[in-house]
Amino acid sequence: MVKIKVLIIVPAYNEALNIEKTIKDIKKNTNYDYVVINDCSKDNTKEVCRKNGFNMVSLPINFGLTSAIQVGMKYAKENGYDIAIQFDGDGQHNAKYLKSLVKEIEKNNIDVAIGSRFVEKKKPFSARMIGNRLISLAIKLTTWKKITDPTSGMRAYDKKAIELFNSNASLTPEPDTIVYMLKKGLKVKEVQVEMSEREFGESYLNAFKSIKYMMNVMLSILFIRSITRKKI
Amino acid sequence: MSITLRVILLIGSVISFILCVRRIKQAKLKVENSIIWMVGSFVLILMSIFSNAVGWLSNKLGFMAPVNFVFFMIMVFLLIQVFVDNIRLSELNEKIKNLNHYIALKENRDENKKEEK
Repeated sequence: MVKIKVLIIVPAYNEALNIEKTIKDIKKNTNYDYVVINDCSKDNTKEVCRKNGFNMVSLPINFGLTSAIQVGMKYAKENGYDIAIQFDGDGQHNAKYLKSLVKEIEKNNIDVAIGSRFVEKKKPFSARMIGNRLISLAIKLTTWKKITDPTSGMRAYDKKAIELFNSNASLTPEPDTIVYMLKKGLKVKEVQVEMSEREFGESYLNAFKSIKYMMNVMLSILFIRSITRKKI
Repeated sequence: MSITLRVILLIGSVISFILCVRRIKQAKLKVENSIIWMVGSFVLILMSIFSNAVGWLSNKLGFMAPVNFVFFMIMVFLLIQVFVDNIRLSELNEKIKNLNHYIALKENRDENKKEEK
């Protein structure tokens, strides 16, 4: 059997304090290729990567997470990878679960494997999870599929999904893309993973941004992605 | 329309017309982008000169006063302009993004080649 090529995409924006640990974690737990996407960080993320000899794609203009993932997908296509995994550079994700995501795609013929915190565990009733539940509900309404952790940033995509990312510039690493992929007839499955709280640096989201984020995602799922046609 | 409004409209549109032409001369505005403003200010000039026609038309269309009709026209014109600009902005954004990606990927390729040597 031909060995499948797996690429781990690590978007990093001002993650100088976390990136080294993240990459070491990946190297320790897997033997997959990785690429750090430096989204024009203002701190010395770039220098840290250079110093350690990490494989890095460094964007000259800051364009946000979506653009970072998209360039990762372009990289994956150009270099003929079979699976691309989106993996946060802030130390919240644990690299030991990467193998189970890949296994899911390899063995069970799944197209998109999502690392979910709530496949086996119950979702807590906290303020943060209200948004998570709402998005889950919207996905259920539009696709009749149950996605327990739609906001998870740890996802593995197979060749078909990588191709979709390369052909549609509006695809984001957000929940509405799951709906799009489901509507396109791709198989999506969740795998139980653990995530930890971030140690250093700031998250992308604050209160105002969270509301904006929710509006965007919900509108996109309900009105745009829901009418995606299957034929490509 | 009152004589004051007519004068204001006339002055405003003449000024915008002159500004437009000056900008083109200084090459700060592309001709194709400026045409819409020239036409717009020209229509405004016409409206302030032939205010009777405007009054007649607004009456036929059921506006309470001719001035409402004039403002309505300006509003529609501006809304369309904003929408068109928004589309243009999105297109530009997409282009810059792709350029951004291209540069980054090329840099990465070049660096890997250097290492191989």
